[in-house]
Amino acid sequence: MVVGECWPTMDLLRSEPMQLVQLIIPIESAHCSITYLGELGQFQFKDLNAEKSPFQRTYAAQMKRCGEMARKLRFFWEQMSKAGLFPSTKSVTSDDIDFDNLEVKLGELEAELIEMNANDEKLQQTYNELLEYKLVMQKAGEFFSSAQGRAAAKQRELEAHHSGEGSIDSPLLLEQEMITDPLKQVKLGFVSGLVPREKSMAFERILFRATRGNVFLKQSVVEDSVTDPVSGEKVEKNVFVVFYSGERAKNKILKICDAFGANRYPFTEDLGKQFQAITDVSGRLSELKTTIDVGQVHRSNLLRTIGYQFERWNFPVKKEKSIYHTLNMLSIDVTKKCLVAEGWCPVSATNQVHLLHFLIQNALQRATADTNSQIGTIIQVLQTKESPPTYFRTNKFTCAFQEIVDAYGVAKYQEANPGVYTVVTFPFLFAVMFGDWGHGICLLLATLYFIIMEKKFSSQKLGDIIEMTFGGRYVIMMMALFSIYTGLIYNEFFSVPFELFGPSAYDCRDLSCRDASTTGLIKVRATYPFGVDPKWHGTRSELPFLNSLKMKMSILLGVAQMNLGIVLSYFNAKFFGNDLNIRHQFVPQMIFLNSLFGYLSLLIIVKWCTGSKADLYHVMIYMFLSPTDDLGENQLFFGQKFLQIVLLLLAFVAVPWMLFPKPFLLKKQHEERHQGQSYGLLDSTDDPLEMELHDPHGHDEFEFSEVFVHQLIHTIEFVLGAVSNTASYLRLWALSLAHSELSSVFFDKVLLLAWGFNNVIILIIGIIVFICATVGVLLVMETLSAFLHALRLHWVEFQNKFYEGDGYKFCPFSFALLSEEDE
Amino acid sequence: MGFMVTTLIFVVIGIIASLCTRICCNRGPSANLFHLTLVITATVCCWMMWAIVYLAQMKPLIVPILSEGE
Repeated sequence: MVVGECWPTMDLLRSEPMQLVQLIIPIESAHCSITYLGELGQFQFKDLNAEKSPFQRTYAAQMKRCGEMARKLRFFWEQMSKAGLFPSTKSVTSDDIDFDNLEVKLGELEAELIEMNANDEKLQQTYNELLEYKLVMQKAGEFFSSAQGRAAAKQRELEAHHSGEGSIDSPLLLEQEMITDPLKQVKLGFVSGLVPREKSMAFERILFRATRGNVFLKQSVVEDSVTDPVSGEKVEKNVFVVFYSGERAKNKILKICDAFGANRYPFTEDLGKQFQAITDVSGRLSELKTTIDVGQVHRSNLLRTIGYQFERWNFPVKKEKSIYHTLNMLSIDVTKKCLVAEGWCPVSATNQVHLLHFLIQNALQRATADTNSQIGTIIQVLQTKESPPTYFRTNKFTCAFQEIVDAYGVAKYQEANPGVYTVVTFPFLFAVMFGDWGHGICLLLATLYFIIMEKKFSSQKLGDIIEMTFGGRYVIMMMALFSIYTGLIYNEFFSVPFELFGPSAYDCRDLSCRDASTTGLIKVRATYPFGVDPKWHGTRSELPFLNSLKMKMSILLGVAQMNLGIVLSYFNAKFFGNDLNIRHQFVPQMIFLNSLFGYLSLLIIVKWCTGSKADLYHVMIYMFLSPTDDLGENQLFFGQKFLQIVLLLLAFVAVPWMLFPKPFLLKKQHEERHQGQSYGLLDSTDDPLEMELHDPHGHDEFEFSEVFVHQLIHTIEFVLGAVSNTASYLRLWALSLAHSELSSVFFDKVLLLAWGFNNVIILIIGIIVFICATVGVLLVMETLSAFLHALRLHWVEFQNKFYEGDGYKFCPFSFALLSEEDE
Repeated sequence: MGFMVTTLIFVVIGIIASLCTRICCNRGPSANLFHLTLVITATVCCWMMWAIVYLAQMKPLIVPILSEGE
């Protein structure tokens, strides 16, 4: 570990210094110690039993118990949410809970609830069955009565026919048929029931085929959907009656019914019995209904009691589970008298962290005292080569910005954190693309609402998008503030300019203003002091002027930010004491970037200051193609040609400088170290065990080709990146142009057009359309796109100059985090 | 108002702002340095933006040409 230099520390620039600490805790006070450490929330335990399965660990039984309790609580929660009840979210009182009692109680409640559910389910099934039965009886009764009526009519008709005219043309066989032997007559049977409607066609077809058509099926649609007793779902069903003859047909039909999930119900032909059955069923139905209702009331009462206590139980159970989970990470001493814990905790010279160390000690002492343990806990600081976790102390303002950086990659331990500058440069670059102080004010009002209602919002659960906006409220506030500033610079208020800072610099050439639209206005006063001159708005030359301005501005801002990135790489190298990186990476990078794009920036500024008409593209291109040629009218200052040649040479020298020395020097360093070590090994034998234990990686081999290829890639990336990253900053111009054009289109083509009609209704419609377009397109979509582009400029163009981002986050064992995570 | 005068105003605003943060939220040396960095970065950003726009309009190569309609 390299200790930082003596310059003053800055919050957030470097992650907190960490140390690996070993705790040796007597087994009787272990639970208590872990509880206090969890309350403190500043200790990240290392899993010392990584090779053991969860069942082999010391506290597997306790874990299982806690898991069981958590499962029961989850079951209650599911039941409650199914019943539409939600546990009361009142603050959890931190009274001690006896876990044995709680376990018994939870078990009882669970058994009770399960029994109730089973009963309820059984009753519900019976109820639904009866309901279906009643339906079948009603519908089938209808069939029978209508069929009987029709049959009787037919019979009568037939008889009348028969007796009326016993003519010759009546078939002879009919008589025979009529007088068949009653013994030979096959008895018709029938089955009645309900079949799901979507299956009814198939059902009919299969029945027909299976019995070769010797079946008569009658169906009737049930208008309301019926609850299926088996599945408990609402299904649309048909009542059916199947008439068949013979035992074999019956068996077939019964099997088909089963296969189609058709519930069968007995039905009697006898009208009297039918009537009796219906009244019987109705009576039982109402009886069951009351029973079910009483059961439901009882069940919801039980759930409500659980809901009232739920949070009081849930949190301690989770806490207990996490404590045992942590305890399982500790390795147990051979004597089984104490547990050994290892983990990271922050240390620092600042008072606060001294306090922290003190707090840890205090917590452990308290635990020892609480459990009347004979021996206290031993705290030891271990030396290690392992990279510690990255931990930034953020507050509610900086945490969202740190999230932006972390989303790209968590900083390496103690590496310079881009988050320090992101707090300002991120909203600033956003605002360059979103410059309009009208829109900025809207955004500010929206985010101020979130900030003022902070207390209310942070306690309640929000939707995904609202949650995200709420989390980034301070980022949005900064973005809005900078947008107001850049809006004032661009002189745009919903695309309308104002003469806020004095009179415009431009005026007509003469009083008549004849050539104002041909040759243009003339600059008569001093330059408009703050921002873009209001006269530009709506003129024919507005776009050429703004494009040239914004393009150059993008390059200047980009070069400045990339330089800042490289400077940060210097601070990193200085901090880690890596002179090699300063001399063979930072210096040539600085030279390369600034001899090309720094020079371009210089040219831009000189051109503005002198008002020269030189063509900068031409200058830059011919600086490469023919550096010795005379610049002619493109010369901006004396000695420009000489400067260009020098810069070009420097840039060419910088590339091999970046590429070659570093790998060779690294190799040399490695060889020296290797030699030195073989002599110096005797010194380090003081504590060989510790060295062995905490240096698992040892000294890895130096692979020259690998290092060289890495450096080659790095160099190529930087050289090409210098060009492409500068070009990438032009997105600032593009987005800003798009924003101002869109807002001016909405203003001119919607609001002014509606105003021109001199009609109140059209004006109101116009205002509504304008507001919708402004909010929907400019405030929501444009904010999002400008946000994404600013994000890219930070992640790629800025951070690739210095940021490694291959660390891992410090995640301490803390009860406070526990309550947040499962929301 | 010339370039220098406004630049001076920016400097003064920057100094005032850093003094304000120093007085209003004095939370130890490292936090103060952080706040100072933020204020300086913000001031430099704002100044750069203003300076670029001001310089671009100092010696105009193109002037506003009014549209025909006006």
